[in-house]
Amino acid sequence: MSAKTDIKRLDQRPMHEAVLSKNKFRILGLSMDQIIHYFFFGNAWIAILVLGLITFSLFREGLGFFPQNYENLQMYRQCGLEFVDIIKDQAEAHSALTQYLDKMLDRKNGELRKGGMDEGKIAEATAPLAQFRKDFDESSIPLQDFVRELTQQAAAVKERWGVAKENSIAREQYLKAGSKDEAAKLEVETVDFRKESEALKAQIPRLVEINQTLKKRLGLLLLEFPASDDPKLKSQAVHFKAAAGKYINAFPDTERKLANWSYDTTIPVHETLTRFLFGPQWVTQSFWQDWYGMVPLFVGSLAVSVVALVIAVPLGVGAAVYINQVANIHEQNLIKPFIEFIAVIPSVVLGFFGVAILGTAIRDFSNGILFDPAWVAHLPAFIQWLPSGLNAAARTLTSWVPFFPISERLNIITAGILLALMGVPAIFTFSEDALNNVPKSYKEASFALGANRLQTILRILIPASLSGIISAVLLGFGRVIGETMVVLLCAGNRIQIPDFTQGLGFIFQPVHTMTGLVAQEIPEVVKNSLQYRALFMLAIMLFLISLLINYIAQVFVRKFKISVG
Amino acid sequence: MSKRFEAASFWVFRLATYLIIAFAGLIFLEIGWKGGRVVFQSTAPFVNVPFLTESPESLHVLTLKNGETLQLGDRAYRDYLNKNGSDSIADEKSQVYAAGGIFPAIVGTVLLVAGSMVIAMTLGVITATYLSEYSRGGRAIVLIRLSIMNLAGVPSIVFGMWGYAMFVLLFKWNVSLLSGWFTLAFMVLPIVITGSEESLRAVPQGFREGSLALGATKWQTIYENVLPYALPGILTSSIMGVARIAGETAAIMFTAAYVVRDKLPWEVDKWTDFFFSGVMALPYHIFVVSARVPQNEYTEKVQYGSAFVFLFIVMLIALTSILLRIHVRKKFKW
Repeated sequence: MSAKTDIKRLDQRPMHEAVLSKNKFRILGLSMDQIIHYFFFGNAWIAILVLGLITFSLFREGLGFFPQNYENLQMYRQCGLEFVDIIKDQAEAHSALTQYLDKMLDRKNGELRKGGMDEGKIAEATAPLAQFRKDFDESSIPLQDFVRELTQQAAAVKERWGVAKENSIAREQYLKAGSKDEAAKLEVETVDFRKESEALKAQIPRLVEINQTLKKRLGLLLLEFPASDDPKLKSQAVHFKAAAGKYINAFPDTERKLANWSYDTTIPVHETLTRFLFGPQWVTQSFWQDWYGMVPLFVGSLAVSVVALVIAVPLGVGAAVYINQVANIHEQNLIKPFIEFIAVIPSVVLGFFGVAILGTAIRDFSNGILFDPAWVAHLPAFIQWLPSGLNAAARTLTSWVPFFPISERLNIITAGILLALMGVPAIFTFSEDALNNVPKSYKEASFALGANRLQTILRILIPASLSGIISAVLLGFGRVIGETMVVLLCAGNRIQIPDFTQGLGFIFQPVHTMTGLVAQEIPEVVKNSLQYRALFMLAIMLFLISLLINYIAQVFVRKFKISVG
Repeated sequence: MSKRFEAASFWVFRLATYLIIAFAGLIFLEIGWKGGRVVFQSTAPFVNVPFLTESPESLHVLTLKNGETLQLGDRAYRDYLNKNGSDSIADEKSQVYAAGGIFPAIVGTVLLVAGSMVIAMTLGVITATYLSEYSRGGRAIVLIRLSIMNLAGVPSIVFGMWGYAMFVLLFKWNVSLLSGWFTLAFMVLPIVITGSEESLRAVPQGFREGSLALGATKWQTIYENVLPYALPGILTSSIMGVARIAGETAAIMFTAAYVVRDKLPWEVDKWTDFFFSGVMALPYHIFVVSARVPQNEYTEKVQYGSAFVFLFIVMLIALTSILLRIHVRKKFKW
């Protein structure tokens, strides 16, 4: 009896629990196993934590962009830069017309040269047009001088405002630090925007005068447009005259815009967002005005990725079908690891290959050079005929390609080809998985109905695995659009929306991309400056795009999965 | 007719496959051929030791008045000037990074990869163990899985920006090994987690049941009877992750990598400086020498040489992973 009470005193739990329980050790009422459980559970939250932290720090740095950019836009208006830009637009329209004339001249010259005419005669033949071009260009000189003058005037105001702002910041810092004398020494000028804008507006009559003279001059000039027998030139002339008429008729518009312009119209707050999302310019560290519009970068990223996908999807899916359905076991065992190997080629090595070899090769090929003539000369004579013959073949072949020869070594296609190679392993692996997951009975049923292998593949297997293949393509797309080194090295890094009017020829133009720009500018940028925040905004956009792509890919897998049964 | 059409279509598929292989092979050949000539030599010791063991230097190309041309690295150039003066030189050009070797970059890459893998493996294996052994579904688990999946899709440059904003600026670790380790570790975490979870799930259920039936606790079961069998698989997937982060450039560009650092990482005044100073890294070095240096016969050596060494290292890691996987599959059959 006494022994029983002793046990009870030692362990107050019911008998069965005291005997069966494995853990006698407890902290805070938790057994060792539970502690381990919670430790592991806590650790699993790291993924969420990291994702949250990424979101948090990107937004923390990026969101400050909007108020800062608002101020930037406001100064653009208040200092009168916007006013000057209205006139600049007119001057630019003039030079666009001049450029059109240049194009006409170039084309004609090229044609005559091809026809075997010598240079002196060509100059003679195109002299009237060249003279017209010169006159047309020179007619804009007063306008350009005027723009230059106003530019200086407005830029000076902005400069003064900038200095005043810096000084006021410095003064505040001095005051904070307690050195009043230093603070008093700093003079902060208050820029009188009203006065400055009136000074600008006082210039409108001058512009009206310039425009009137210009109108008269151009009217006379257009009458003297040199006639030509060339039908192409004739139609171009008609087009030019129409455009010039439009240009002249727009003069009153410009003047009206200037008269209506006011330095203190408030800018709507949402404009700082819309100008970031839809702004067509990304200009930084300019003396005039910084613009942060992501359109050229987004279009660049998209163009490069789409070109890459157009190449990678047929190759990747084709290879997956081949390996999964057609190839024999030895081919499978060799090719699958090899394509996995491609996935680990570091992107910077691919980028280097693009810079060192591929870009040059594409440009040379567009010039009809398949093999470097210097290299061919090194070969023993009896074999030289082969590369020389191929070079000649390349020349005839490429002379038919519409956009050749190309001048840029680094362009969309160079980056696109290499990105395609990066995307192929992902697309291949996931598509192969998807094909593998199609139940065997589908295939057997198809064969039993008398379909051949090709029909089975195209009509049964691919449709059945389509959700997997689409998500493979999307994941490949995500990988390609987020890739940095290849585009930074090979896309040409020119911040410009490619000229799509040429059709397919856009793939031979250089672009800049979101990822490439971030990587390029972050090391040089001042912390917390507007540009720094704009770059973080770009990173946020990239982050959101990748999340979106991921999300769609998951939806495809979930929603369109063929029920296996 | 349809037979022939079928065969022709298969040839199209075959062509696609071999086109990929041919293009990748072209890259391997090009870099292997030109880079191999930098790293290997025809005379003993057959390996270009200075290239692998020295720091990068500027190359000075001197044309002497007697018509001779000399290619000297920085130090040799200074020695030459001390000895001969500059009178005999008719013309000189210099190319940055084109002389010397890439030793600090190799060391930096190894350090970066090793450190971040330690972090990623610890966190990754614990998370994977939780997901495969402890979790019983529910909202939290769905959220965790969703996060992992999304984390896998985040572009590396965004990880780089995050590392820059958080470790470099907010925590004030500056551009350092530590910042790089954490940035890379979190980048590779999804790969390690998914890989480890798969190999944990591959361990047959019977192993766990047997252990539990013998009275072992849950933790004892996992520690003694699940993890050991899953470990080779975990290693295999992690090695793939190693290959991935070794090749990563965008994430370390502004978190860990210096363009040039003369001293080796452990040559520091205080031991803590080791963690708080940046390193040179092969991928960043390749970027620098291919983007900021013109392509010519003098710079070709360092460009192709480093690309070759880097590709070789990464391929070696990937090959290890593939071989290990074959080995593991042969060894464990249940």
